[in-house]
Amino acid sequence: MADSPAHPDSNGETGNDTGVAPEHGSATGTPRWVKVFGTVVAVVVLLFIIVLLTRGPGGHGPGRHTQSGGIGARTAPASVVDDRGSFAGPVGPALRSSGHASP
Amino acid sequence: MSPGLRKFALTAHLTCSLGWTGAVMAYLALGIAAVTSPDAQTMRAAWIAMEVTGWYVIVPLALAALLTGLVMALGTRWGLFRHYWVLFSLVLTIFATVVLLLHMPDVSVLADVARGADGASLDRLGGDLFHPGLGLVVLLVIQAMNMYKPRGMTPYGLRKQQAQRPARTP
Repeated sequence: MADSPAHPDSNGETGNDTGVAPEHGSATGTPRWVKVFGTVVAVVVLLFIIVLLTRGPGGHGPGRHTQSGGIGARTAPASVVDDRGSFAGPVGPALRSSGHASP
Repeated sequence: MSPGLRKFALTAHLTCSLGWTGAVMAYLALGIAAVTSPDAQTMRAAWIAMEVTGWYVIVPLALAALLTGLVMALGTRWGLFRHYWVLFSLVLTIFATVVLLLHMPDVSVLADVARGADGASLDRLGGDLFHPGLGLVVLLVIQAMNMYKPRGMTPYGLRKQQAQRPARTP
């Protein structure tokens, strides 16, 4: 916290530039902020995993934008999706030959 | 770590971490432009720029921030698993990096669609606001945690601390 005690080597051995030292107190038990924050993080990560596992291809990903009935109902023509909307793992702009004429 | 090396590692870590946050902000601005702009060329350019920014700026900075963070934690007395704030920073950084790496291929697909789509199709393509928005929140939380360093040692950290105490007493 901001009111943590400064440590003589707080800018030395710790690599710390804030004047806050690694804790040397003997406080036992889990702090309340850890419980609250840990619960929030766990819920977010769990939700992410559930979304990832329950929604198949097109449920979460480019299909959401390019297929009809997706979130926001934003659709592109099927020809566009068929021609260019491959899910076969593009790995970056430079590693793919676009082959598309500039409009 | 020697003081000089530690300073260098800290500089690299701060540069990568803050650069990652800044790049996500730029990506978010492009995502907003892709959603709100009525101009087809702007929308197309935004998607292409989002793809390039994502692969060539955000992904390298994310991996570098994770790597330099590990070096900083393991090379100093903070340790990787001793303090809750370090542990949370690690978990959240890994989480953000995994989501980023899973999401970027989708961005490439949509950028490809945008390259060839006409105005009406581009309008239906939408933008990419949820992922960078959530990512920015996570990065800001990590940043705040790294600055405030809230108290709290893990059981492992307490054990290590107790084990080191007798060794230090003369």
